[in-house]
Parts: sequence; C-alpha cells; structure tokens
Amino acid sequence: MTLLAVKDVSKHYKSKKAVDHVSFNLKEHTCVALLGPNGAGKTTILRCLAQLLHPTSGSIRYKNNLQQEDIRPYIGYLPQYPTFYGWMSGYEFLIYIGKLANMSKDDVSERAEELLTLVGLSEAKNKKIRTYSGGMKQRLGIAQAIIHRPQILMLDEPVSSLDPIGRREVLELMEQLKQEMTIIFSTHILSDADEISDELLLLHEGKMIESGQLSDLRNKYKTEMLELEFADEIELYRQLVEELPSVQHTSIVRNTLHVTVTDVNEARTEIFAASNENQWPLISFSVNKASLEDMFMKAVSK
Amino acid sequence: MMQWMTLFQKEVVENWRNFKWVWVPLVFILIAIMDPLTMYYMPVLLESGAGVPDGAIFEMPTPSTTELLMMSLSQLNTIGIVVVALMAMGTIANERKSGVLELTLVKPISYSKYITAKWLSLVCLIAVSLFAALSVHWYYVNLLFDTISYTEILLVGLFFGSWFLFVAALIILYNTFAPSAGVVAALSIGTIIVLSVATSTFSKYLTWSPANIPELIQEMLYTSSIPFDLMMALGVTWILTVACLWVSVICMERKEVS
Repeated sequence: MTLLAVKDVSKHYKSKKAVDHVSFNLKEHTCVALLGPNGAGKTTILRCLAQLLHPTSGSIRYKNNLQQEDIRPYIGYLPQYPTFYGWMSGYEFLIYIGKLANMSKDDVSERAEELLTLVGLSEAKNKKIRTYSGGMKQRLGIAQAIIHRPQILMLDEPVSSLDPIGRREVLELMEQLKQEMTIIFSTHILSDADEISDELLLLHEGKMIESGQLSDLRNKYKTEMLELEFADEIELYRQLVEELPSVQHTSIVRNTLHVTVTDVNEARTEIFAASNENQWPLISFSVNKASLEDMFMKAVSK
Repeated sequence: MMQWMTLFQKEVVENWRNFKWVWVPLVFILIAIMDPLTMYYMPVLLESGAGVPDGAIFEMPTPSTTELLMMSLSQLNTIGIVVVALMAMGTIANERKSGVLELTLVKPISYSKYITAKWLSLVCLIAVSLFAALSVHWYYVNLLFDTISYTEILLVGLFFGSWFLFVAALIILYNTFAPSAGVVAALSIGTIIVLSVATSTFSKYLTWSPANIPELIQEMLYTSSIPFDLMMALGVTWILTVACLWVSVICMERKEVS
C-alpha cells in the first residue's frame, strides 16, 4: 500500500532548480534509498517531505488522501548533521521531542528508556548532550526520530559522517527498524544503498533518472561481461578470445581481460571448450554482476 | 496545550541552566538602584574625591521620590532595553542557525505555539526582573530618602512592563527572519531608538505611542491619577504586541528552515 504519494514535486531557488519534477510512491514496509552525487537534490527532497521546505510545485499526499494534510505526525526525520540542545541530557531531549509529538507522559518516559537501550545510550542518558561524541549524537538522532513510532522514517545521509564502527552500528539499527517502519534515506555511498535498500531512486541534478526495485535495475543494467585472468602473458590470449563467435569486444584492465559478449552462457561454453582444447593457463573466470556503480554511471551518462 | 507547556517549560529550564534567571534580575536591580544610591552618596563622594576647598558648602536639593523613580525608569528604559535585546537576540535565530530548530519544527506543532511560548517565557523573565528591580528600588528609597507607596510602585511596574511586552514581541519578530542574532539586536535597538525619537519629536501626534509610556507614567505620578492618554497608549501597545506576534507566526511559516 502506498504511504506517501509524491507527485511532480519541484523546488526552485532563485537561479537553481534543486528538485525538478520528481514523482514516486513510498510503499509500506520498504526501504528506499535516494542515491545521487552531492548536490543532486537528495536533501532538498527529504526536507520537502518533512515539510521543512515548501515545494515550488507538486504535491505530497499521505495514503493518497485527496487533501494535502499535515504529514508530520506520521514521519520521523533525522537531518544530516543533527544538533541538539547541548544543555539537555539525552533523556531530557527525548522526553521533550516525544511530548512535542503528542505522546502521553507515561508513554514517553517508557519509550525513551526503551530507545536509549536500543541505540546503546542508556549509560550516558543523564549526561549533557554537549559531551556526546559524533556517533552518540547520530544514535540519539535516530532515537528522537522514532520516539513517536512514526510510519515513515526519513534519514538524511545517516552513515556518511561516521567511522566504520559507527557506520556498521547504524546500518544494523536500520536493518532492525526496517521490520517496523518504512525507511527512506539518502546516501551517496553506493554500497550502503546496496546493502539495505529494497528500492532505489537515482537522482542527478534534481531530476530522477531511474527508479525501481534493486533486482529489476540490476537486470536492466546488466552488462554482459566476463573477466578472465591468465597465468601467462595476457596479450597472447586476447587475439584467440576475440576470434570466438559470441565475443564482441575485449579490453585489458590491470592484467584482467574484460570480454564483452552477446550471451554469457554461450560465451562460457566456448571459452571453456577453447581453454580445455588449447591448455590455456586460465586462473580465474567470472561473470560481472552489474554493480551499483556501473548502473549509476550508465544512468547518469544517458 | 501539552505541546505549548513543553515548549514553554523548555525555555524556562534553558534560562535557568544558562543563569539568565539570575543575572538578568541582578542587572535590572543594579540599574534601578544606581541613581538613588549615587544621589544619596553624592555629598560624600564629592568631599572625598573632588578636592573641594575647605569651607565650601554644598546646597544639594534632595530629589523627591518621584524624581528618583523617574530617573530609574529612564535608566531601565535605555540600558534595560539594551540588556533585554542582547539577552534575547538569539532565542530563535540561534536555534535556526545551529539546526536544532529543524528537530522541533518537524514535529506536529503549530508555529503559533512555538512563537507564543518563546514570547511568554521572555516576558516572564522580564517581568520577574522588573519586579525585583522596582522592589529593591522601593526599599532603598524608603530607607535613604522618603516613604513611597508600594502600590504606586506596582502600578508603575504594570504600566512600564506593558512597554516591555511590546519590546519582547518586537525582538521575537526580528528573530523570525533576521539572518543572525547580531542583526536581531541591531534591528531591535534601532527600531526602539527610532520610535522613541519620533515619539518625542512628534509628541503632539504620537501621544499614544508605546514609547510615550514612560512620559505618561511621569504625568501619572505628578497628578496622582491615571491619565486617559496612558490608557490609550497601553491599548495601542497591546494591539501592536499582538500584531508583532501575529506577523512573527506568518514569517515563521513563510521562512523555510534552512
């Protein structure tokens, strides 16, 4: 079921179209990655969804309701660089945010304790936030975003500024939260999107250039390419490989032979046959899966 | 209501943790007793410091309690306003700049709750400071000069405080759109100066200007009755205060959080 219907949303600044006619539907229980280079408009879209910015045109509707209503009760939002009131303790801040989200006193204090444990801040809960480290602040940021049990969680670059350990922790937390709510997060790191998202929205210069399920996109941008490595001088075999009927083109990248073929299965049979027959010193054979990176580069250059 | 209380409580606690509840009243008290004390000790000060020739005699007229009160009010009207402007210049502007405003506004609260909670917490702080300042003033004038009725002081505090309601609303208004805290302070103080100068220059036409309230209080003290113009000035001040807050809410809605 569609939770948020984003239709033709544009956001223009004086001289720049930060977001240009972007439409997509956010379905229940999915994890969507907004992927794009810096300045692609990821943050602007998230901030429009969170109603911190007013779109120049277009509509954002909750559950396809006809009226454009205040969607803030249903969302939790974590900005890229969350800042807090440094004079509050982590616990106090969660209570403050929870009460603003109309939670009852008992509910909010119970939930705050629960979340502090979940994000691993229960030891530091009574310390002032100004003494927190970057990773602790990020985790507190996630806790404040989900305290009112939102249906949609929006995270702006949740892991980009973290060290490898913090990154792992946050990704695992997101994996856990995926079970309970819809997540939309922005990132420019392809492997993060690859790791936990079900759906991808590719953005470039404010436009959405590609979107869909990760597996579909993989198929669409599949490159029929093989990578071969030889124990011997690679040039000797390049000629021979190129003579095979299903091979279109070859190139050498760092001592591996990249072979573009018409059909992977046919090419494999041919190569293995030739290799058996002529005793090629083949040490590795792999079919190249389209990585997000290739996909991204292809989509951008289209 | 609970949301509003949460916002208000946060302001009160914040002002407590950064000691505004301590230093603002102290500064106000200092401003309010400066003049009575210097007037009282003037002869002593002159004798000890000024190298007066032997035998010289000073005839210092003892100021009346009304004169003393007006002196202190005029100090509060200048230094006091500067203190308030500097103290409150970042109440929204700094939250916007640091980014913490985002986390508040992304929750389903109305802008009017946010603005009124900010304003009323500021008004509370000013009211307490003013009350403390005038009370201490009353104590020292009673001690050193002449008796002065406490109800009169309270009445003066009420009217003079109304003027500060407007000052607070003005500071909140500038907070909603000025790019930085410094600009807020400059605009607020600038506006008050322009308003005061205009009021005293065109006093014929601007009798009901909020900046005329101190002048009208003086009239009240001398005539021992509440002048009609003072009531009108109060009305205008309250209307302007509400207008400022209303425009603040609109500015807040229009201006995006960035």
